[in-house]
Amino acid sequence: MNSFANRFSTTDHLRELKRAQANIEDDEFSDAAWGSEAGFGSLAKGVPTFSVPAVPDPSAFLRLHTDDHADPKCRIKIQHGTTTLAFRYKGGVIVAVDSRATAGSYVASGTVKKVIEINPYLLGTMAGGAADCQYWETYLGIHCRLHELRNRERISVSAASKYLSNLVYSYKGMGLSMGTMICGWDKTGPAIFYVDSDGTRLKGDLFSVGSGSTFAYGVLDQGYRWDLPDEEAQELGRRSIYAAGHRDAFSGNTCNLYHVKEDGWHFIGNYDISKLHYDGPDNVDGAGYGYDVRVGTRS
Amino acid sequence: MSIMQYNGGSVIAMVGKDCVAIASDLRLGNQALGISSNFQKIFSVTDRIYLGLPGLATDVTTLRELFRYRVNMYTIKEEREIQPETFAHLVSSTLYEHRFGPYFIEPVMAGLSKTPSGSFKPFIAATDLIGCLNFAKDFVVAGTASEKLYGVAEGLWESDLEPEDLFETISQTMLNAVDRDAYSGWGVVVHVITKDKVVTRTLKGRMD
Amino acid sequence: METSFALTGNGYVIVAADTTAARSIVKMKIDEDKIKTLSSHLLMAHSGEPGDTIQFAEYVERNIRLFQIRNNYALRPSAAASWIRRSLAQSLRSRHPYAVNLLLGGYDTAEDQPHLYWIDYLGTSTEVPFGAHGYGSYFALSLLDRYHDPNATLEEGLATLRRCVDEVSKRLVVSPGKYKVKVVDKDGTREIEF
Repeated sequence: MNSFANRFSTTDHLRELKRAQANIEDDEFSDAAWGSEAGFGSLAKGVPTFSVPAVPDPSAFLRLHTDDHADPKCRIKIQHGTTTLAFRYKGGVIVAVDSRATAGSYVASGTVKKVIEINPYLLGTMAGGAADCQYWETYLGIHCRLHELRNRERISVSAASKYLSNLVYSYKGMGLSMGTMICGWDKTGPAIFYVDSDGTRLKGDLFSVGSGSTFAYGVLDQGYRWDLPDEEAQELGRRSIYAAGHRDAFSGNTCNLYHVKEDGWHFIGNYDISKLHYDGPDNVDGAGYGYDVRVGTRS
Repeated sequence: MSIMQYNGGSVIAMVGKDCVAIASDLRLGNQALGISSNFQKIFSVTDRIYLGLPGLATDVTTLRELFRYRVNMYTIKEEREIQPETFAHLVSSTLYEHRFGPYFIEPVMAGLSKTPSGSFKPFIAATDLIGCLNFAKDFVVAGTASEKLYGVAEGLWESDLEPEDLFETISQTMLNAVDRDAYSGWGVVVHVITKDKVVTRTLKGRMD
Repeated sequence: METSFALTGNGYVIVAADTTAARSIVKMKIDEDKIKTLSSHLLMAHSGEPGDTIQFAEYVERNIRLFQIRNNYALRPSAAASWIRRSLAQSLRSRHPYAVNLLLGGYDTAEDQPHLYWIDYLGTSTEVPFGAHGYGSYFALSLLDRYHDPNATLEEGLATLRRCVDEVSKRLVVSPGKYKVKVVDKDGTREIEF
């Protein structure tokens, strides 16, 4: 369809494939193999290059080995099940996420960092493929810094998210999986952009992403106002992640809360979701968010 | 998604010194969605036999009603209380009746059986969903967290535990195993059966 | 998509169900009553496979009525839930199972308590303080965890229900437009303009 454009594209996957096949023939070790360069060694050529399986259809090959819904016994497990949320209000942006990673029904980790600190003014959230989010948002961080050096001013949230969106779009159909919110404060004030691996990019005031997002929306929508005081805004973010952690089997363990203000992001805290259930954020016995705890039907 | 994982839930039973314990979680889910945090899966059959029914929730209720009926009929006909060994075979044969369209339940039983000398001997057993009996001397597990329960129980269980120590062991096993399982949890209930009483406690488990 | 909610309060149960009857991509009817009044103090919201829902609801309705005629007293909510659950569980292993999800709300006149049962097409039954079926449940349950009060007055209960309905219309892609709301309390069942 875009064969003309593809011929001149530097990130097109068919070109990547050809390059990878050429590499196998004449260059057994890429430069990156000699030193990881913080994992971004592949950037030495200007654009990231990835080794692609030498099969006719690499994305089908990847899908065959990563789709853990169709086949729980497959080798590569991609992290599924998450609740992340971010909302914009007069006092900045609240970003809250859970910390559970599951592989099938197994809770593989309860201490995942799903907020990626791109730079002191930008946060990215992680839903879908953990590695995809981590890699590309760190990569985005590099380019945000380059933008700063070239233009002597910070990149806008809009531009940063557009950069990420274009990047993942160029890999569309190759199995990238990410649903992320790029949050920050720029010249225009607080801003949130939702970016996913389909290539969707949405500007908005309030988003939630992941398997528990519907539960988070249920609480978030009802408590949200533009002129929320800071305390209440943080409480709303925390309460919404708790709601999702409680109802959704694939979300939970702890809640990480961030507040983005004019001077950049601040880490507010890490809250155990079970402690929130029984004792609430201030650790007062019986002051928890839990329904049974709240209405007092449990001893 | 297996039908055995549709509602979630797990049960474990352990042997102690002149006592047995049985524990389950309290979650009822619809796959990832939690519906109830007070869904009992363990039922008393007699004063000294408890039965845990992890698996498909509709069959939990159906089998509970069926076993209550059959045990009542046994008690009336025989004019005596059913013994754990007999009950285990009742469970097994009831499940095998449905060999070609099974109930999706893996029962776990714990009880004290009367010896000819008048003392009581700990008894635990489990079956698969079509009634293959497994009499164990240490512990038996079933449900969505069964693999995790095996791991923790292998590490924590010792022989000849007193009732209080058995309670602690089974509680810690259950709590820690269900925390690693997405489909089990939302509270834990533990029954410790000794010759003259049954102690039932509801534990504060993780609620996520 | 079909959605139904129910919540208990101080001496009452509110049962709400959407009123759309859809077939393929078409709304065939927008004022369908999906809440059956089974007896003087018993309400049942039904959703699921078209055809099965009506057939099963009427089967239940007739049998509950038959019991009342034979015995001169009505089944209490817990007994009715038990019988309905068993009917569904038996149907599940028949050649043609009913695919019907239910919310059974009743007022027990013997002990003066409201009761609500969440029952699905498999015959899973559990008593709950509030419940929901359909895609709406993914939004409403967390909301009800936050806002439901078992001691709320009828007005407060209806306000909480309003939150659920608003949330579902805000977030669900194909959200139902109208809901029928019925209440059962010590005075029996009645429909409420919502």
